[in-house]
Amino acid sequence: MKKHKILIANRGEIAIRILNACRKLGHEFVCVYTKEDAQSEHCTEALKQGGPNTLYRISSYQDPNEIFAVADDSEATAIHPGYGFFAEDFRFARRVVQRTRKLKFIGPSWKIIQDLGDKINTKRVARRLNVPTIPGSDRPIVDDLEAEELARSLFNFQNEQGVEQPVILVKASAGGGGMGIEEVHDLDRFRTVLRGIKNYARRQFRDEGVLIEQRIFDFNHLEVQILADSHGKVVHFGTRNCTVQSIGRQKRIEVAPGFYPQSISYAFDADKVLNDIIDYSLRMAREVGYNSIGTWEWIVSPMGNPFLMEVNTRIQVENGVSAIISRIGGQEVDLIQEQIRLGLDERMHFEQKDIRFEGLGIEYRILAEDPENAFTPWVGRIENFSWPDFPWLRMHTHIPRERAYDIPTEFDPNLALGIVWGQDLEQARDRGIRFLNQLVLEGRNYMGEPLKSNIQFLKENTRKLLVF
Amino acid sequence: MIDIMALLNEIKKAPYREITVSAPHTGRIEFAVKDTGIKVDGATGTWSERPGTLLARLIREGNAKPLHAPEKGEVVHFFDIEDGQFVQAGTPLLNIRHFLTKQEVIDIILKKALHLFKAPEKGRYYFVSEIDIKIKSQGLRSVNIRDGDEALILSRMKRETIIHYEGPDGIIYTTYFNSNESVEMGGPLFGVCPEDQVNNIKTVIDKIQSGWEEQE
Repeated sequence: MKKHKILIANRGEIAIRILNACRKLGHEFVCVYTKEDAQSEHCTEALKQGGPNTLYRISSYQDPNEIFAVADDSEATAIHPGYGFFAEDFRFARRVVQRTRKLKFIGPSWKIIQDLGDKINTKRVARRLNVPTIPGSDRPIVDDLEAEELARSLFNFQNEQGVEQPVILVKASAGGGGMGIEEVHDLDRFRTVLRGIKNYARRQFRDEGVLIEQRIFDFNHLEVQILADSHGKVVHFGTRNCTVQSIGRQKRIEVAPGFYPQSISYAFDADKVLNDIIDYSLRMAREVGYNSIGTWEWIVSPMGNPFLMEVNTRIQVENGVSAIISRIGGQEVDLIQEQIRLGLDERMHFEQKDIRFEGLGIEYRILAEDPENAFTPWVGRIENFSWPDFPWLRMHTHIPRERAYDIPTEFDPNLALGIVWGQDLEQARDRGIRFLNQLVLEGRNYMGEPLKSNIQFLKENTRKLLVF
Repeated sequence: MIDIMALLNEIKKAPYREITVSAPHTGRIEFAVKDTGIKVDGATGTWSERPGTLLARLIREGNAKPLHAPEKGEVVHFFDIEDGQFVQAGTPLLNIRHFLTKQEVIDIILKKALHLFKAPEKGRYYFVSEIDIKIKSQGLRSVNIRDGDEALILSRMKRETIIHYEGPDGIIYTTYFNSNESVEMGGPLFGVCPEDQVNNIKTVIDKIQSGWEEQE
């Protein structure tokens, strides 16, 4: 195996998970940080595990020239984009592999990112393959009259379907992760919302295209974890249920597998739905020649009808909850290591039949926020952060345990991920509550007010997990 | 009203500030100015379209990014960076001693004379679209603002919150933020002048125009 030096073009906990994966695979790594992140543990870990030449300060995580300047100075041979930032930027991925000093891109080929990274293209590909999708636009709409016409037809469609209170969603087409989405209950309010979303999209993404879709109520949000190599082999690592979200549609708890018919009854055949979304996802992955790790996101209606929402052509925050229930040769899987191997052109060394699923995983996203006040992020200093070590717990965080930490306001407010394993739903839930009860997260803001966290919210939702 | 002449005399005791020029990005640095004592110019022209003296070039991805003197002054110190060295973003390169201009003195004094609306929290700020449109079409000092008005959008952690103005009614006289950059908590966002005091402010400015001599 050729030894590589992998530049980790990301921050926080994912940078730490990637650098650990690099070490385990015998590759060198190099990390970057911005001034706001100087206190992040990903900097400490980089220096501790790789020495002083493995950490570079850059002006922005979103400036490709910065990343390439560091790649050249450090003689990196590959770039791992993590999630967010450049992870789904096909122009960046293309530049990585086409520049004069070529590098490996740890992710799908840029053409696939272009085809699937765009929600609209994905919808078109899915419709071509008879994969069910949500009724609505399959391209970004910039023209207000066209948008209004589509909104009218979606309201009429729902009325014809007997939906009592039809609702449509207006989304920034360049958005993601639940940002820039609003719902509209009647056509009169549509114009105001459309203007608001377009303004938001222009400010945040410099692209004012919008998508307009039917809002499906009381759905569950499921995902299928796919892994594929460049030689045509495609496997899955099961399903996840990501229905517990903040009101801004940000995920807060993920559970694998996606339903649990062993002890919960559903109004539909849950095993069949899970198998169907896996089959649809594999069908699409094979059709487009997918060649990395990726997630097919689904919504499932209360009657068990699945609709493909989008494809995330990257490693996801919640990959660990699939990994914790997956075994190859009796060993727990590390999906980031698998992604790196395939990104460096190795062949997949296992088949679908080699992957076994054991037990149930719950991932908690721990944030400083106020769930009772619209999940408003809390900003201030974390003074005390600790948790007990359990063999069934994986904790991923960039927050130092030995010193105080000021939460930067420039990035997503995720503080830590706690992933719990149990042999069944009941044990996983009990362990989840035990972990949350013993987790200590304390701090003060500039006014001297105590830190607000979502721990209570996570506890309350643990009892209801996977119940539709 | 503040004592303008006392404040001016205070500023006159140390009528300069030292500006540290840092590498804006990572890259290899090539100095164009190599000695202390050299006089440099800042950007000039109506729209600052003529760049200041070339201080160095930062080379990354084969492109040389010129680093120009941000203000007029004298190079007084070089940090320990060798010509041709790879530098990380934010690395300090050199110091320029810059004598305050009339406009800068006016800005200092305006900060004392106006009601400053300060950032309630750290983040990026944008004017709400009604104010933004007015400023863009009619310019500053065309916008009246009253206590409780929706004034700004605070963007942080990808979430946006409307910020209401708190303070005396008046016109937005000057702004201190740039939407591309995060403002620290307590940093000034804009200065408001009550309408009945606009003439007093003009008097202050006239006093500085006549009472301040710009130095080379």
